[in-house]
Amino acid sequence: MRPSFFHHLHPPAIPAAQARWRHTLGAGGTAVFLMLLLGVTGILEMFYYVPNPEEAALSVQTLTYHVPFGGFIRNLHYWSAQLLLIVSAVHLLRVIFTAAYKYPRRFNYLLGLGLFVLAVMLDFTGYILRWDQGICWPLTTGTNLIKTIPLIGGFLFRLAVGGGDACQTALTRFYTWHIFALTLPVVVLGVWHAFRVRRDGGIATPPARLFLDRTRIPRDELVRREAAAMFIVGILLILLSVFFPAPIAPAMIDKPSLNAETRAPWFFLWVQQMLKWGDPFIFGVLIPLGILTLLALIPYIFPQPADSDIGRWFPKSNRLAQVVVTVIAIFVIILTLINT
Amino acid sequence: MTNLSRRDFLKLARDGFLWLSGALALGGLLRFLDYEPNPAPKTEFDLGPADQYPLGSRTLLTDPPAVLLHTESGFSALSLVCTHLGCTVEQNADGFICPCHGSRFDADGNVTHRPADKPLHSLRVEITPQNTLRLRLD
Ligand code: HEM
Ligand code: FES
Repeated sequence: MRPSFFHHLHPPAIPAAQARWRHTLGAGGTAVFLMLLLGVTGILEMFYYVPNPEEAALSVQTLTYHVPFGGFIRNLHYWSAQLLLIVSAVHLLRVIFTAAYKYPRRFNYLLGLGLFVLAVMLDFTGYILRWDQGICWPLTTGTNLIKTIPLIGGFLFRLAVGGGDACQTALTRFYTWHIFALTLPVVVLGVWHAFRVRRDGGIATPPARLFLDRTRIPRDELVRREAAAMFIVGILLILLSVFFPAPIAPAMIDKPSLNAETRAPWFFLWVQQMLKWGDPFIFGVLIPLGILTLLALIPYIFPQPADSDIGRWFPKSNRLAQVVVTVIAIFVIILTLINT
Repeated sequence: MTNLSRRDFLKLARDGFLWLSGALALGGLLRFLDYEPNPAPKTEFDLGPADQYPLGSRTLLTDPPAVLLHTESGFSALSLVCTHLGCTVEQNADGFICPCHGSRFDADGNVTHRPADKPLHSLRVEITPQNTLRLRLD
């Protein structure tokens, strides 16, 4: 049989250490599974979703309350998207805490970071597609934030929204961004990311000469573990979807009423909290972008972890990166909690 | 001048051509996306007959979000669009408060609490010859 991309990612045997739960946490693989699920449920939603300001919210209601299993599909899409953010963040932390980002994997680290940013943008654009009263203020403040960027702010705003008053006009563009213009880059980066994992020698472990554990597991065993992870995540998603439906507020007619939701979606609560402190450009744009840049630079300017430490949890030689990332994570979590 | 072999020249020409076409295409794409298909938001609003708003009245408008005041010195209006990032502010006992990031303004629209750093905009109100009111955002 000719080897396929599947075989590229599942060689006949791999070192057992690369497939241990306690090493990978299964996070990267789970993210792939969630993205596939998002693709399938998203396409199903498109059969009913009407991307038109007058009808969008009503079509989501039709989907949710009338279409057989429509609510379930929508909830699966919603919960997969929320889990995806958590799982990707866990994956990112794991890669840093096990010093796996070191050369030759640092380019793939950047691809992964790009995927994470795209996932956040997809989650935000998808949330806007509800087009109910709850999305107007987060949409307005979020897109006005773009305008505060010096020189190119106005241009980026038009790029994202298409101009005008976001709560009346942004839907066409956000729909296109969501189902195509962000999804396509996710597919490209995602395939590339997976390809590079194998290309860079599989999941990071200490170099062979320093490594005593020579056991290997066959392809079947790897596939079995992946199936087990998918099964567990699948059950979790089904439970969440059945017991905690995705929110939907009344349709947005012109501007929302005064009691409309003013809180950002949960993954931007920390930014919303910072916006209370002062200049929107500094707190809403510079600091988040600064954090992202800092993360991107870790494999390039931080002290290099020792070869023997690669693939071990919390090794001494990348302590600085661990501390910086932990501080960032705690900062984001605390701000989120303050604003809840 | 350095000696450029025929092969190097062709390679350079090819690369230059490819980069140039790429740059032109990107420029075209950016201009393509830069168009605003939507009509500019309205800037003029008719508020109906002026005598609907008696002297001393203070009327909350929703489109556009504003308060219309009728005082001894005539009609005036204060926009309720928060100068921070654009949510609509709500009235409270001492002025206005924004639900999005907590900016506060006094009854005249001056900032009393950050993050907003500019007062609420005052809007122009005109009386038309037919004695109706017209609000301008400008
Ligand atoms: C990584 C990928 C994706 C993420 C993170 C994501 C996220 C989301 C989120 C959070 C929502 C809002 C759900 C709600 O609040 O109701 C949404 C809605 C939607 N998504 Fe996605 N999505 C992804 C991929 C896709 C794809 C590939 C498609 C189509 C091909 C798609 C089509 C839709 C449609 C039509 C809606 C509107 C229906 C609704 O609001 O429930 N999505 N998405
Ligand atoms: S939009 Fe009013 S405080 Fe931010």
